[in-house]
Amino acid sequence: MTAPSTADRRGRDRRASRADRAEAARERVRQAEQRRRRRHGVATAVVLAVVVVAGVLVQAARSSTGDDGVPAGATRDSYGFALGSPTAKVTVEIYEDFLCPACEQLERSAGTELRRMAAEGEVRVVYRPMAFLDGYSTNRYSTRSLNAAGCAADEGVLVEYHDQLFAVQPAEGGPGLTDRALVALGSRAGASGAEFRSCVVDGSYLGWTRKATDAASRAGVVQTPTVLVNGRELENPSLADLKAAIAAAG
Amino acid sequence: MSERLGGWVALTARLLLGGVLLAAGVLKLPDPAEGVRAVRAFRLLPEPVVPAVGYGLPVLEIALGVLLVLGTAVRLAAVLTAVLLAAFVVGILGAWLRGLAIDCGCFGGGGAVAANQTRYGTETARDLALLTVALGLARWPSSRLALSPAPSCMEGRP
Repeated sequence: MTAPSTADRRGRDRRASRADRAEAARERVRQAEQRRRRRHGVATAVVLAVVVVAGVLVQAARSSTGDDGVPAGATRDSYGFALGSPTAKVTVEIYEDFLCPACEQLERSAGTELRRMAAEGEVRVVYRPMAFLDGYSTNRYSTRSLNAAGCAADEGVLVEYHDQLFAVQPAEGGPGLTDRALVALGSRAGASGAEFRSCVVDGSYLGWTRKATDAASRAGVVQTPTVLVNGRELENPSLADLKAAIAAAG
Repeated sequence: MSERLGGWVALTARLLLGGVLLAAGVLKLPDPAEGVRAVRAFRLLPEPVVPAVGYGLPVLEIALGVLLVLGTAVRLAAVLTAVLLAAFVVGILGAWLRGLAIDCGCFGGGGAVAANQTRYGTETARDLALLTVALGLARWPSSRLALSPAPSCMEGRP
């Protein structure tokens, strides 16, 4: 009586276990596939993280110089050049790039008047040159001209050289002056000699130009010219607005 | 038929997103300092993290672009791309609402522009469109001509 039923059960069990095994095998394949996929995802994420971290380090290394020289006559924060009495009631800070056309216009319209006011003790003018327009010339003119200005500062003729740079400002988009032309320009400002030449050609102040530009960026400067009168930014840096702001501040 | 079509649509999405990311990264890569200034101009992130973001962003964009164009880890890349684009939208809208006049620096450059030359509307619309594509790709990552085929593509075969 019990034999057939046992045989039946065995048959069912065998069929069932065969189906179970097949199902289990499929399940194992599925799980293996899932594990493989997950491993692949994790591996990709890890590689991605490593690549990005390495990239940050490389980019940071590319933008630092380890070169700490500061031109002679710079203000205590290293990046400004001051004219006029330190005790003047009004301080005018001017951030500019030697390739920036609006800076050239500002210099042409307001430069003389500012120099007069500085000479008469009415204002203290602090030039804060920066170099953020390298993308607008084919040979990094912003940076090279600022480096040359640093070299001119060592010769004691920063302001004169600054004026010469604006007088011969190249158009945006083309090549700027070559290093050789920047050296030659020095003689018009009173900077000549082997030291000035090698300073310009070797880029002695390239590190300083980057730090100056970075300092300007951290100070919130995102365009040139940026003009601050006693720390307050002028909306529209024209001679008229500048004079009005100076009068109001003094 | 529709699944086959979906594979081609996903391929198009991969190439579009990947191409845009590669362009954005490659254009930013040559001038790391400019990238940092562009990030800073948004006045959104605390100063200590600004340099890392400025330096790392182009690298991340290129890496994601490569993954998408090759077609490997597509879902992961699509999700990260969507997160990135969402962050860009927040940044651009933030600048817009606070009245800053800056270029997003999305493809290099960045910094201030004249108040009437901001392109916040276009920039936001473009990033939202790309965000939609990225989310779609994250949902349906299986595509044609992919280096490592996405799951549903394999299971779909006999």
